[in-house]
Amino acid sequence: MYSYIVRRLAFGALAVIGVSVVVFVVLRVLPGDPLVAIFGTEGFTKLSDAERARMMADLGLSDPLPVQYFHWVQDIVRGNLGHSFFRAESVAEMVARRGPLTAEIALISVVLSWLVGIPVAVISALRPNSISDNVARFLSILFLAVPGFWFGMLIVLGLLFMFGYRAPLANVPLFVDPWANLQIVIGPAVVLGLGQAAYIARLARSSLLEVIREDYIRTARAKGLNRRLVVAVHALPNALLPVITLSGILLGFVLAGSIPVERAFGTPGLGYAMAIAVSERDVFVMQNLVFLYAVVFVLLNMVVDLISAWLDPRIRYA
Amino acid sequence: MSAATQDAVVAQIPDVRAARPWGLRRVGSGLRWFARRSPMSAFWGLIAAAIVVIALAAPAIAPYDPLKSDFRAMTKPPSERHYFGSDQIGRDILSRVIHGSRASLTVAIGAVVLGTTLGALWGLACGYFGGRFDIISQRIIEFLQSFPDLILAMAIAMALGAGMGTVIVAIAITRISFGGRVIRAVVLSLKEMPYVEAARGLGASHLQIMAQHILPQCIAPYLILATAHLGVAIIIEASLGFLGVGIPPPTPTWGNMLADSLNAGLVPPWWLVLFPGAAITITVLAFNLLGDGIRDALDPRLRGAV
Repeated sequence: MYSYIVRRLAFGALAVIGVSVVVFVVLRVLPGDPLVAIFGTEGFTKLSDAERARMMADLGLSDPLPVQYFHWVQDIVRGNLGHSFFRAESVAEMVARRGPLTAEIALISVVLSWLVGIPVAVISALRPNSISDNVARFLSILFLAVPGFWFGMLIVLGLLFMFGYRAPLANVPLFVDPWANLQIVIGPAVVLGLGQAAYIARLARSSLLEVIREDYIRTARAKGLNRRLVVAVHALPNALLPVITLSGILLGFVLAGSIPVERAFGTPGLGYAMAIAVSERDVFVMQNLVFLYAVVFVLLNMVVDLISAWLDPRIRYA
Repeated sequence: MSAATQDAVVAQIPDVRAARPWGLRRVGSGLRWFARRSPMSAFWGLIAAAIVVIALAAPAIAPYDPLKSDFRAMTKPPSERHYFGSDQIGRDILSRVIHGSRASLTVAIGAVVLGTTLGALWGLACGYFGGRFDIISQRIIEFLQSFPDLILAMAIAMALGAGMGTVIVAIAITRISFGGRVIRAVVLSLKEMPYVEAARGLGASHLQIMAQHILPQCIAPYLILATAHLGVAIIIEASLGFLGVGIPPPTPTWGNMLADSLNAGLVPPWWLVLFPGAAITITVLAFNLLGDGIRDALDPRLRGAV
């Protein structure tokens, strides 16, 4: 197990470095002239040559690219995530203030996806091709096709029309007013949770159907255990192993999905901040936020891999 | 084996191509077989085909010009004149939804074909040559996979600037890793086949072996991958439009229309929200179910792999 942990950590560290290079190439090398990206073509032409040169020097953009990359990494290691061009708040402050809300949304949505997805999968797998199985499968296929942000907009509109209700738009920390906080996060969490539940129900169903055909399940049935007990105690734990891995990947889907979904709900989380940054083409904020999201994604996948290795010896000795 | 006996053996092998010529008849019987096998997929395949036809014939079908404002009908609910209502500046929603299918399908098909093809060729080279090239390539693919799709597409679309071409490239880059992984795995197993060894023994070059013996076997997984990813590509395109880094307005796309509806005051009118989103959902549903059917028909072993 220890050698597996060491190998996985080393690979995680390599992935973080690789990710930083990809982010740097995409957001700093591809755009050509960063000032065009910041001011737009129109704003750029209004600047004089001297102004351009001064801004480039101020921003450290006239250094060679490897030096720029090195400075960026240095800043991140020191915890300096830079600041927006359009707002006074630094990116680090923004993450500290808005991050918890998005983390709550992600966490609640994952819990919801298991609470909905697993029972649906069990009902489906117990009676394959029954009416309940077909309804469950159709619903999961449908939720794979519904864009989360549109579903969110429909929920906002529906609540507004039917109950005249709208979730609070101001950021309220969990420990200040838990009730208001819950109202803010529950909408995006439900939308993202149902989206994941569709994937989870699909995978858990096929995984369960495979496990149910194993010899040890037949043995358990043959010694007289009742069907439900066999499924709950013998089949389900083994069938859930691939679902745990999928859940890790889906967390990345939640991180990305929360950007348009928070925009649709008007949730004051990090995803909304990212939606604003991308629409304003705020390159430096995007660079750091994209890197942050990717690092969180890499770490989550590492944790999920370690959990599956701990649960399944076949993985750690492979 | 002398040349004469070899010719004699070859002469005895029935020519499969002569027995079953490619043609309308064979395509028709193939389609009938597919429809009998999975009627559900065939039904959604028909809907997907209908959406493609609507996209191709959009100017003929749409009742109004999607860009033309009618200032007498601003933000009007669905009526006899405008079946899906009209937006803030009096553009007909039905016409915009119909024209929106063009952007959506062009981007989705373009991105999936570009991304999957690049990934497949890369995976082919990785699987076939192996060694250091393969190891380095696998690391690069893993770095690309360390980003959630939408975030990578957003960053690339923003960096390259708005436009249909950049949206296609942005989404295509997120698809490369899938093609690379699946095709590499297929090639790894094919490489050990006796007929590949035989071809190598006969002195065929690497290029010949790849093109004649390995590539044809990759066509089924390639088709499956490409159709399976159309739905995801459509959703990413809509999300990019919604976030303002997609195809720039005034081009009607479903994502742009949903983004516009948020600007229609504090409470967006329901018809501005309902119809574009429903169009996305139905299109993605159709392509996903068609993709599932194609996968099950061509190669059920790939279930779960793509």
